[in-house]
Amino acid sequence: MRSDEVRSQITEARSQNCGQDPAVQARSLTRTYRRGAEKIKALKGIDLDIKCGEFVGVVGHSGAGKTTLLNLIGLMDRPTEGKLGVLGTDVTRRAVRLDALRRKNIGFVFQEFYLMPTLTATENVLLPTMWGKARDMTGSGSAIVDRVPSRDRAKKLLDLVGLGHRMTHKPSELSGGEMQRVAVARALVNSPRLLLADEPTGNLDTATRDGVFSLLLALNRDSGLTVIVATHDLGLESRFTRVVRLEDGAIVK
Amino acid sequence: MIWFRLAFKNLIRRKTRSILTVLGVAIAIAVLYSLFQFQQGYQSQLKGELGALGAHVMVVPKGCPYEAATIALHGGKWPRYMDEGLLKDVKADPGVAEAAGVIMDAVFAPGNKNVILLGIDEDYMKLRPAWRINGHWFDSDSSVIMGPTAAQEAGVKVGDIWNVPEKNVRLQVVGVLNRTNTQDDGFVFVPRKTLQRMSGLDGKLVLILVKARHVERTDDLVASLRASEVDMNVFPLSELLGTITSLMASTRVFVSAIILIAVILGGVGVLNTVLMAVFERTKEIGMMKAMGGSRGDIFKLVWAETILTAVIGGLTGVLVALVSSRLVEALIRGMIPYAPKGSLIGFAFPTLAMCIVLSLVLGLVAGFYPAFRAASIRPVEAIKAE
Repeated sequence: MRSDEVRSQITEARSQNCGQDPAVQARSLTRTYRRGAEKIKALKGIDLDIKCGEFVGVVGHSGAGKTTLLNLIGLMDRPTEGKLGVLGTDVTRRAVRLDALRRKNIGFVFQEFYLMPTLTATENVLLPTMWGKARDMTGSGSAIVDRVPSRDRAKKLLDLVGLGHRMTHKPSELSGGEMQRVAVARALVNSPRLLLADEPTGNLDTATRDGVFSLLLALNRDSGLTVIVATHDLGLESRFTRVVRLEDGAIVK
Repeated sequence: MIWFRLAFKNLIRRKTRSILTVLGVAIAIAVLYSLFQFQQGYQSQLKGELGALGAHVMVVPKGCPYEAATIALHGGKWPRYMDEGLLKDVKADPGVAEAAGVIMDAVFAPGNKNVILLGIDEDYMKLRPAWRINGHWFDSDSSVIMGPTAAQEAGVKVGDIWNVPEKNVRLQVVGVLNRTNTQDDGFVFVPRKTLQRMSGLDGKLVLILVKARHVERTDDLVASLRASEVDMNVFPLSELLGTITSLMASTRVFVSAIILIAVILGGVGVLNTVLMAVFERTKEIGMMKAMGGSRGDIFKLVWAETILTAVIGGLTGVLVALVSSRLVEALIRGMIPYAPKGSLIGFAFPTLAMCIVLSLVLGLVAGFYPAFRAASIRPVEAIKAE
């Protein structure tokens, strides 16, 4: 089955790349923002270890620091203080090129799906493959040999998320749940080693929410992909293999 | 190619705004193409018309040289005449191979059509070796030879009688010229004496066309003619070409300045549109960066949108220029003292290429700042932005 092939590729990526390195290793991780003259500590020196293959929920109320933590792990931001290792790389070093590392290793799913309205589901899935130079896609840094994505790969991914029949549909022709599934397929197209989802079910109704959550769970369970989900939905807590609870920028559990 | 496909799809998301921006560039490029082609067409058509005169030097009465040129090339009524005796003096110059005296008049035919009458004699034929007459040369004072267009407009053929409008004179059509594709096609040729009598201009000439014996010594001939006669203007036709084109060139400076402003405005329009699109798509650009898009990637994408807008504008502009060429020609003709007949604005690949390259440069320059702004967007802030 095609989706099985994709699952096996993701599994292979995990086994080859994770090695002994933890997926995430944070020490005294601090992120401070300025709002005018005021300094806001969004993260207050947290320590955190996430192993490869874990399915972690980062939970907490709005403003607890979940998105800030995810942005740091997702290499979209740099910490103000502390150390952060992602997939064995110390990303607090200035010399590290975050965009290249992110492109090769990290898939993102957002609460708002951010699909391009003029592109079909297939084209949206393939969008991240146009970034960066070809060597990023085929280079030795990646675990999956077949890193050059194609329409065929997009089809396999859409099959995997249950949307093989919606390949040529544009976002306006898809439901909220379907759009989020396309966003998940898009996050997987570069065969990431780490999948981050920031409130992925926040814009969905309960039934659709369960479907999308089950998909993330299945990706972790079947493929061993490390998945970190930030959510304030208390109903989902029990389904994570591990929960990191944040309150006011600090880990409380 | 995928960059341009994505850029194109981004442009069609805001159709009205994109179309208006493309139009801004198109108008600037259309003006540029029209003017440039007009200049080129003007020069080559003028050269053709002067060549068709079959002469090297033109002798006209004192007066405005551009009026004289218009009369010489397109015919017409001009209230300045020379004495026919001057023709003898001109012919006597050793540097002259042939000289033909011409008298001209213009009458209105029914339907308000302007009919140009040229009074000529055998000397004129010597300047027109390429003429082929369907019929024969004048055999009496009341015969007429017509250019093919003139004959068609008058509705006559060889052997017919033609009533000269306004003059109450009947002439017999003894010949119709085979098409020459020159201004001669539209003229009516009458024996010189006949036209002089008909127009009450006995012993008068409007123009003497001179063929030099030695073309390379045309300047000497001009100097010699100028020295011998003070009541006439002597022009080498090459000088006339230079004078008229330099007159055009002086207007080009002003028009070029206007075009430059139009092109800059078009560029600012493109810059504004793309910059607005960047601001509106801050979140989307943040997402692209989150998906691994580097500064360079985002820069390329936005730049591609600008370049595409400008180049589509450029191509549309050339198309608009070609479609509206007749209208533009008519407008320009109305504003300049002399314009050759025939189509002046046509398709020319070098001009097309120049316009496209200019559009491309416009896109590159106008797109730089929006692309830079887009590339500088930080994904975290963009995704947070409301």
